Amino acid sequence: MSDASQETDSPGYGLLGLAGAGVLAALVAIFIYVPTEKTEGVVQRIMYFHVPSAWIAFFAFFIVFLCSILFLWKKEREWDIYAHASAEVGILFCTLVLITGPLWAKPIWGVWWVWDARLTSTLVLWLIYVAYLMLRAQSEPGSTGARYAAVIGIVGFLDIPLIHFSVLWWRTFHPDPKFITSQGLGAGNDLSMNITLMIALGAFTLLYFLLMSLRVQLERMKDEIDRIKKERLYSH
Amino acid sequence: MDNLGYLFAVNVFVWGGIFGYVFYLIRRSHSLKKDLDLLKETLKKDADHE
Repeated sequence: MSDASQETDSPGYGLLGLAGAGVLAALVAIFIYVPTEKTEGVVQRIMYFHVPSAWIAFFAFFIVFLCSILFLWKKEREWDIYAHASAEVGILFCTLVLITGPLWAKPIWGVWWVWDARLTSTLVLWLIYVAYLMLRAQSEPGSTGARYAAVIGIVGFLDIPLIHFSVLWWRTFHPDPKFITSQGLGAGNDLSMNITLMIALGAFTLLYFLLMSLRVQLERMKDEIDRIKKERLYSH
Repeated sequence: MDNLGYLFAVNVFVWGGIFGYVFYLIRRSHSLKKDLDLLKETLKKDADHE
């Protein structure tokens, strides 16, 4: 008998320590190191939470996309576990994007929300992956429902290039990319802002991997319980 | 220091969301581990009876 319970006994303390150190470094950089921006003031610091949350949400949904393809192709439960876990973590970060964005917009734009291309396509992305999780909640591992959810996970990812390029293709309220610009990485920012953004991104990436490892472990334990229950049922 | 309330709210939501989710995962993990241990114990008892 394996392994799920043994894995629970050895949580990734190394990863936990790294993520904790990363979060601490990000907080020091955001609140002490980086200077206050001249025009937006203190509220500009929200960007160091908003932008990394968006990047991690996109990364998480890219993992869903990749693992869903591998699941449909190889039909191995392991890929399904990673896709499901990443979708849940992605929804968390996408929710944070949709909360931190309006909290920045209200003092800067004077409104909480506008129905422009980037905001609307981000909301659509959130709804797609909420639908994915709702379908997953109703379907057994390896069932047709899990395969349908994988298709949603793949198709939903196509919204991400639309979100990224929406500020370039259409006239929107949302600011243009300040870090990835045609003049080069970080050309639109002060160096200390770029360093702070990179530290915050590093911390959020470590948090993503920590949350993923916890969520994957949970799914493996569920599988182990199901397996034992089925074995017991058939043995009687 | 205008608009400090917005920055504070962002921190509440971001860290509250992340740590709330970690807390949920750990609690769920403990509950599943208890179920798993109970199942293993039952299996062992079944095997001993046979």
